[in-house]
Amino acid sequence: MHLFLMIGLVAFSILAVLTRDLLRSAICLAVASVFLALVFFRMNAVYAGVFEVSVVAGLITVLFITAIALTRGDQEVAENKHHMLVFPFFFLFLIVFDILVMRKLLGRIPAIAGSEAGTFGEVLWNQRTFDLVGQIGVIFAGVLAVLALFRQGENPRKGDTTLPGGQPQGGSSHE
Amino acid sequence: MIFLFIIIPLLLAGLMPLLGKISKRFLPDLLANATMLFLLVFSVLSAKPLIAHGGVIQQAFWFGAPLNIRLLLDGFSLFMLFTISLVSFAVTLYSINYMEHYGAKANYYALLLVMIAGMNGLVLTSDLFNIYLFLEVAAVASYALVAFGQGHDELEASFKYLMLSAVASAAILLSIAVIFGLTGGLSFGTVASGLKMLNIKYVVGFCSGLFLMGFGLKAAIVPFHSWLPDAHPSAPAPISAMLSGVLIKVSGVYAMMRIFLNVFGLTPALTTVLTVLGIASIFVGALAALGQNDIKRMLAYSSISQIGYVILGFGIGTPLGFIGGLFHLFNHALFKSLLFLNAGAVEQSTGTRSLDKMGGLAKRMPLTAATSAVGSLSIAGVPPLNGFWSKLLIIIALVQAKMVILAVLAVLGSVITLWYYLVLQHNAFFGKLNETWKSVREAPFWMSAATVLLALLCIVTGLVFPMVIHSWLQPAADVLSGGVAVALNFIGF
Repeated sequence: MHLFLMIGLVAFSILAVLTRDLLRSAICLAVASVFLALVFFRMNAVYAGVFEVSVVAGLITVLFITAIALTRGDQEVAENKHHMLVFPFFFLFLIVFDILVMRKLLGRIPAIAGSEAGTFGEVLWNQRTFDLVGQIGVIFAGVLAVLALFRQGENPRKGDTTLPGGQPQGGSSHE
Repeated sequence: MIFLFIIIPLLLAGLMPLLGKISKRFLPDLLANATMLFLLVFSVLSAKPLIAHGGVIQQAFWFGAPLNIRLLLDGFSLFMLFTISLVSFAVTLYSINYMEHYGAKANYYALLLVMIAGMNGLVLTSDLFNIYLFLEVAAVASYALVAFGQGHDELEASFKYLMLSAVASAAILLSIAVIFGLTGGLSFGTVASGLKMLNIKYVVGFCSGLFLMGFGLKAAIVPFHSWLPDAHPSAPAPISAMLSGVLIKVSGVYAMMRIFLNVFGLTPALTTVLTVLGIASIFVGALAALGQNDIKRMLAYSSISQIGYVILGFGIGTPLGFIGGLFHLFNHALFKSLLFLNAGAVEQSTGTRSLDKMGGLAKRMPLTAATSAVGSLSIAGVPPLNGFWSKLLIIIALVQAKMVILAVLAVLGSVITLWYYLVLQHNAFFGKLNETWKSVREAPFWMSAATVLLALLCIVTGLVFPMVIHSWLQPAADVLSGGVAVALNFIGF
């Protein structure tokens, strides 16, 4: 069962990268996420599974599909196709490396890790309190990034102004 | 009290967009600069006395109740805090004038403050997962800051930076997961004692490789450097200064050295890898910089080269090597910030970054030319400026460690550095003034004030280097020399 779930996860992740259609790519990502959530459930990481299904498979997919629906379809962008060859090559290499080396090595690692550290709430609030400060920082950074990058120009846009030297200003001066 | 280094910039970042509604420029300028000045003074006057007898662990409180947040302040982390605060102050001073034409100043300062909070958090934590988390805080803010100009180049550079950083984060997270699976802990002390007990050098080697790749990408050491020459030149000049000046050092060099030296312990294999990568970075960065025509791109390649010296210093593994590496880290933060800020002043005045189109600008921008000359001579290692002493210490440490060939190569790298900085100075500031630049004016007051401050620091640091070594570098080097014992001292906290 585990193997089936892992194959599904990897297959849909690859499809999400290789599919040319954005909508299909977003759906493949959501399906991959469902497979990952099932793996989490089977490994007793119930909270991780719930977050994976609700946030990644649910909320983020809705955001992706909304963004794609709001984008016009007439803006074709030419892309190079090399990644179509590079990605499968590296993936095959990783699989072979994994089968030959890692599997054997991982089984021989001694570990002293304890199995239980408390409930999810206890771990989050009592033991990993500092992580919450970091989480707030990441959320702040994300929100402020959206505010900054999607701002409407309160001043003339870069490149529209002329500087004392008589050249258009801006960071795009790779002459 | 140490918690203020994280909480103050984070709180101000939250308030900044609201303050921006009341006052678009004055209040954001004032508060951002006041915050940076406070953190700088705080690191010297309040935090420095705390480590008079070695490192301390401080617990954070919330209205008198203790929180499960413990921060580690020792010589190494305080040295990094001071460097971050100093460069950040110069950058915010410069931003008063420079960021006028970008608009959304409050959002800009908010992102800058989040980035600083992330770096301070990373430096003060004693936990592997917290390192990853604060690395991401600083990184997410820096992606947005690189793309702040919203132009095509900025967005492309930011996307490339984001993609390669995601690879770096994945490698770091995988390594942390393996270590957690083995030792059942994430704090430096627990991990260090767990790994010592298990004695599994191959797994530690595997995790070291992942960390080297992850933090190496963040520090832009060769062969993980390809993102930096795009990302750093595309950002607004003060952000280029922050990225090259401190971010690559905090999220790359600091994190790597803290884990390798205080948690894993430096091994002969790791010494070899670090010194080889250091030398490779010196030459790849320097030779690539030689061929550049874009002034900011040349400075970006130069950062790769100079980070090579820092890694080389740490890689030697001797106390003198640590002092040399730390000193060069600090010096590079000063002169590379200075040079990026000067490049920004030139770009803003002329509208170009192409060295071919410049020439004779010293006649129109004497202050920028003078401070740029100080920065260039410092980075090239001309005595008695600060860069000379740090490179000299690294070279002496190499000779003492019987790595004479590497010492010769390090000198050669410095000669190439002098070469391309002379090319930069000659093409941009000296020679006949190009007719196009007749109407060019000197940079505005606050931009000049920031560059003069950094140039003076380059000179003064060079002149009083024994005092700098004694009061700031020695305590930091002692922490690194202490090795795994430093982390084991704090076990149970």
